[in-house]
Amino acid sequence: MPTIESDVCIIGGGISSAMLAQKLSELRPGISIHIVEAGRKLFDLENRMEHRRRSLAYGENAWPGDFIADQPAKGIISRTMAVGGSAMHWGGTCNRFSEEDLRLKSMYGLYTDWPMEWADLEKYYCEAERRLGVSGEPSPLPEDARSQPYPMKAMELTYNLLELKKWGEKSGLPFWSTPQAKNTVPYDGRAQCIRCNTCAICPTGARYSPDFTFKQLLAANKIALHDQTQIRRLSVEGAGTKITTATGVNRATGQPVEFRAPLFILASGYAWSPHLLLLSRSSRFPNGVANRSGLVGKYMNGHEFISAFIEIDTKLYPGMNETHALISRQYFRCKPGDPYVRNDLRIWESAMDHEPRLRAKSGKLLLGDDLLNDWRTRAQRGTARVRSYYDVHPDRNSALTLDETATNKFGDPLPKIEHRLDAATMARKGATKQHFQTIFERLARNDGAKILSTSEGGYLDHPAGGCRMGTDPSDSVTDSYGQAHDHENLFVVGSPTLPSAGCTNGTLTFVALTLRSAEKIATQIPKHA
Amino acid sequence: MPMRRRTALQWLAGIGSSFRAWSQSTAFPGDQAATLKELAALVLPSSLGRAGTDQIAAKFERYVREYRPGADTEHGYGFTRVRPKPPSPVAAYLSQLAALPMPLNRAAVEAAIEKAQIKDLPRLPEGQNVITDLMSFYFRGAEANDLCYQAAIQRETCRGLAGSSKVPKPFPKPIKERA
Repeated sequence: MPTIESDVCIIGGGISSAMLAQKLSELRPGISIHIVEAGRKLFDLENRMEHRRRSLAYGENAWPGDFIADQPAKGIISRTMAVGGSAMHWGGTCNRFSEEDLRLKSMYGLYTDWPMEWADLEKYYCEAERRLGVSGEPSPLPEDARSQPYPMKAMELTYNLLELKKWGEKSGLPFWSTPQAKNTVPYDGRAQCIRCNTCAICPTGARYSPDFTFKQLLAANKIALHDQTQIRRLSVEGAGTKITTATGVNRATGQPVEFRAPLFILASGYAWSPHLLLLSRSSRFPNGVANRSGLVGKYMNGHEFISAFIEIDTKLYPGMNETHALISRQYFRCKPGDPYVRNDLRIWESAMDHEPRLRAKSGKLLLGDDLLNDWRTRAQRGTARVRSYYDVHPDRNSALTLDETATNKFGDPLPKIEHRLDAATMARKGATKQHFQTIFERLARNDGAKILSTSEGGYLDHPAGGCRMGTDPSDSVTDSYGQAHDHENLFVVGSPTLPSAGCTNGTLTFVALTLRSAEKIATQIPKHA
Repeated sequence: MPMRRRTALQWLAGIGSSFRAWSQSTAFPGDQAATLKELAALVLPSSLGRAGTDQIAAKFERYVREYRPGADTEHGYGFTRVRPKPPSPVAAYLSQLAALPMPLNRAAVEAAIEKAQIKDLPRLPEGQNVITDLMSFYFRGAEANDLCYQAAIQRETCRGLAGSSKVPKPFPKPIKERA
């Protein structure tokens, strides 16, 4: 079996991996960094316009080959396994959490606190925004104060969003442009956004994706990238506690391969990071590695969401920039003592209820001019898509486990995720629902608005957890830098370390935490490296 | 390594079915071109004029020819599902077109839709019925969106950021509407 040695071995090739490799190569120039990713490289910017066309016209996968057929898993929210990970097709939304997310226990007596200070995290948010290239409009709320400006001016609001902002603010709630990792000016060698309206497959690279970082690092010989190479086990040799090897297989050739390094970093996201730790069970570590606490795969989290479509008496033009939204952080804070609920509030343009239809309400068939006239009449009014992510807290047994009934082609059990919310979250469900009904009704009081529908998400979005961080080794898997309590040379970075998932998109936080981890990791790399 | 007999047969069968799909697709619309054009004139907006509806029919023909059965579709977010594109719609389309009377009339088209029990326009044309698939192809596209809103929204065009805060420019009316 070939053995590949390096100073740092990063397992996983998503956004956390890209950011970590970039920062480590700056902090410790000259070290050898090897990145191992189970999925394929999709470094084909030149094909993206055509992939976009086929996706729009035929509904084909805009990222052909971005998943591994024999790696399904129950409870995951995306099948993507490729270099770049889910951030190849993310929307680029870059909201920050708020200080309350880190102080749930001390402010509200709920769940747990994060083992770090907000001021510390805030400076890494700034760094994450700079590295990703975030365009944004600062929140007007004083509690959202920033220590540095956004690197780029905010995306211009479309005519639709300007109209929706006027409508939304009649309710007394402030709304502003959602920050995004999309270039409003040329930035970091990537083009300015040209509003293709398909951010999930950005054909120009104006929306950040990790392939750009990996390509830069490869061109400068700062990393080695082993794609289509799946790590199946981490091992500890001898009597010590250090991880010595990561053993896997090259999916393209079927050949086994072994990686050795003084430092191993797990950057495989919320599902595959705890999964690998659990898979690495042995007679000495029967519950997997890094799992003395029994908490690997536990406290799996995410946020719930609720949506409404609200029709308003304003003409909108659906399709101007459907992926850009307004945001209000008005409800990020909850006064201690008040019934607990914290949420973001977003508004998008929508064509809901104003799409062409085959039949009138009476059931009569509409063809040709009849169909067009029916559509035009309904299109005189606009629709707002309103959605809130809201904070929920996981139960200890909100878990990723090994599904012994489902295996991949190597015979390894696949992960199974079953989210469970803690008792306090469950107890306030009714009040939370009422809170959102009140918000939707408050918005619907203006401009002849009518709530067309409301719906609940049905799954936890922006999932995280499974290796939660903390100060107490009996109550957490890693410290605040992602360093495993049980193995001094093993780090877990990004989403798995989050104790809770806040009430807004998680990616910027995953990256900020990773950049914070990078500084400690850099100090652990042997001096001779 | 020499190919095992079973593998070789499977490979040949695969080639055969790919060839059949390819030859069917290249045959579309075969001898039904006139019917497809008549259908387009009947189910698309009259403001497009006959030249306009003929053009949409031609675009639909190309769309069907470039359809890739079995291609992976979006695997979804939230609720993941890996689903391949359904088989080529050509055979179904050809028989559905052949079943329509010529000259075509609205009653026959409505009867065909009712018989097929179609309740709404499909999201994408995937072979359920040629009439509603042709309608979906046009009405769910960016061009029809602009026609409906009488504005150059150009939903699927990379348009640049400049001017996006303004109402989209008026849509140039089709020749017939201008007249």
